[in-house]
Amino acid sequence: MQSIDALLRKRLVVCVGCGGVGKTTTAAALALAGAQRGKRTAVITVDPARRLKDALGLATLSVEPHRVVVGDVHFDALALDTKHAFDALIQRVAPTRAAAQRILANRLYQELSTELAGSAEYMAMEKLHELLHLHRYQLVIVDTPPSAHVRDLLAAPNRLINLLASRAVSLLQAPASLLGAGSITGRVTVGALLKVLQRWTGLDLLRDLADFVTAFEHLTEGFTVRAEEIGRLLHAPSTAFVLVTSPDPHTADLAAAFHRELAASKFPIAGIIANRVVAFPRVRDQQAAVAGWDEPLRGRLLENYAALLRLSRRDRQTLRHLQDATGAPLLAAVPAITAAPTSLAGLADFAQLLAPA
Amino acid sequence: MRQPRFIVVTGKGGVGKTVVTAALGLAAAQRRRRALIIETASDGSLARLFGRSTLGPAPSRLQAELDAVHVDARDLVEQYFARLLRFRWLSDRLLSSNTFNALTAAAPGVTEFLLLERVLQWIEPGLTGRHQRYEVVIVDAPATGHVIKLLGTPRRLAAMVPAGPLGTTAGRLLQLLTDHQRTHVVLVSLPEDMVVRETIEAYTTLRGDLGLHVCRPVLNRVFPSRFTAEDGQRIAASPDTGPVVEAARFTLAARREAERTSAQLRRALDEAPIELPQLFGDELGAADLGPFADVLGPVVLDHLPPRTTPRRAGGPRRGGSG
Repeated sequence: MQSIDALLRKRLVVCVGCGGVGKTTTAAALALAGAQRGKRTAVITVDPARRLKDALGLATLSVEPHRVVVGDVHFDALALDTKHAFDALIQRVAPTRAAAQRILANRLYQELSTELAGSAEYMAMEKLHELLHLHRYQLVIVDTPPSAHVRDLLAAPNRLINLLASRAVSLLQAPASLLGAGSITGRVTVGALLKVLQRWTGLDLLRDLADFVTAFEHLTEGFTVRAEEIGRLLHAPSTAFVLVTSPDPHTADLAAAFHRELAASKFPIAGIIANRVVAFPRVRDQQAAVAGWDEPLRGRLLENYAALLRLSRRDRQTLRHLQDATGAPLLAAVPAITAAPTSLAGLADFAQLLAPA
Repeated sequence: MRQPRFIVVTGKGGVGKTVVTAALGLAAAQRRRRALIIETASDGSLARLFGRSTLGPAPSRLQAELDAVHVDARDLVEQYFARLLRFRWLSDRLLSSNTFNALTAAAPGVTEFLLLERVLQWIEPGLTGRHQRYEVVIVDAPATGHVIKLLGTPRRLAAMVPAGPLGTTAGRLLQLLTDHQRTHVVLVSLPEDMVVRETIEAYTTLRGDLGLHVCRPVLNRVFPSRFTAEDGQRIAASPDTGPVVEAARFTLAARREAERTSAQLRRALDEAPIELPQLFGDELGAADLGPFADVLGPVVLDHLPPRTTPRRAGGPRRGGSG
């Protein structure tokens, strides 16, 4: 399809969609299609289950680019390790080595760094930046984590910054600032509040938190600069977002919701890729089509065909509704017959269906 | 009164968690056990199955013995802190603080903890009796990865905050979750290689690492066996590539995949999956739930697994099956 070719002329393609729609496989197949078109291509997955390596038939997939050879073309694949990336980021943005060490050693940081909402997503964006600038790829495909909302994915940098730059620091040093309270009633309020919170959590947690937030205080500037760069990158004309979905009404609804969020934040959306689409054409004369078969198989063939025509109609309607709701074009509809590829040959077949070379 | 049950339905996106949740709710109601369905997604698909457009933040009646409620992360935070702080003026100040909002939005486990804490209110309302008590609470939970986090939260919290009201709640939750006669996880899967692999992974983690009771997995959208083995051979051998015969090949392939993945689950988990059929109607509706309830009810609701001694907070991890 021509529109897939237009997509592959971009520099950065971000695949979004809910889990279980073949997003990882689609990302890998797009990378292969890019490589087949002569681009120096990388695909990055942040999927915690590391299913990309299943799709690529690879036993090892790490934060370092790993060359995948399919026939006479190749592309690079890498999986993101959130903890590793977070540690590296701290070391890069901390003003001194001692400051970095202090954060890395904090108990709360160790507990929270991988799970702080949005950190996996933020790190994906970070890595992206590095890939495009350091490794000079011509095309980078991103398989995003299966977030429930785009905002979790793309607001992640801002959310981290909000937390760190908000007056969380001063909150813990001078609790009154939490409520912005300079007045006497304000101080009374805060006193009461803190009493409850301390009793509620136990004192140690608050102390650890204060320590953690204080340590982060110096990092916010580095974070902010990075987040702004990433924001610009994601809005660039050379970037395209693709909604990956299955024709299931439920996942299509989620895809439409993703689209609304992306559009609201003015991200460039290229279109929709639908996987596992049942699409059997209607034959004019069914009786003639089964004339060569005898009963009872003939009856079974017709009954089965009727059932699959109903599925085909359902899928067609769902995808039409999705296109109407989003105004986004359908870039490709990959037929359902293909089982998810678990080998490189399978991936090549999938890529051929998705983006015929 | 029978011991209340807490059922967590999870699986990859798009596997049919919502339908399984709704069918289990129906099955509980048919058994005259007051049931509550909790919707956590905001797409309203659960409501639609029962012919409603949306569900509210307070439990509302779907049919006799069956209520449903929508829980929202922000509401959970607000209501919890309002209750904790007792005074309206106090909680209003806290909730209007940007710092507080940034903190609760980013900190891991906050909404997870509050969701579970809310569930506790519905099955162990305590002396205050502010909430109605339900005999079966079923949550249409987020995708598997999140659920593992959700169900692991009380343990982590109990280890982090051993004392105080927060720690006590975490301890009670841990007891509820690890009691095999009270809490059950239902994993929904599809006859697809990667989905089945994830189901097996989740089953092992939930059962082994978290010590939870996991029911027989549900294999959804299993294609019917429309053709005999002999039919299959004739169809495969035929040179006909028209849509009617191709459709038959599609069904045969899908059926083979269903049988293969079903066997894969049985081998890996030592339990046969509960199979739900692929439906060919236009859109799933209330009429489809009955047959699903008939299949799911006996396995999930009528069966009581052996009793376990709930583990204490922060205790050592137990390997193997629970």
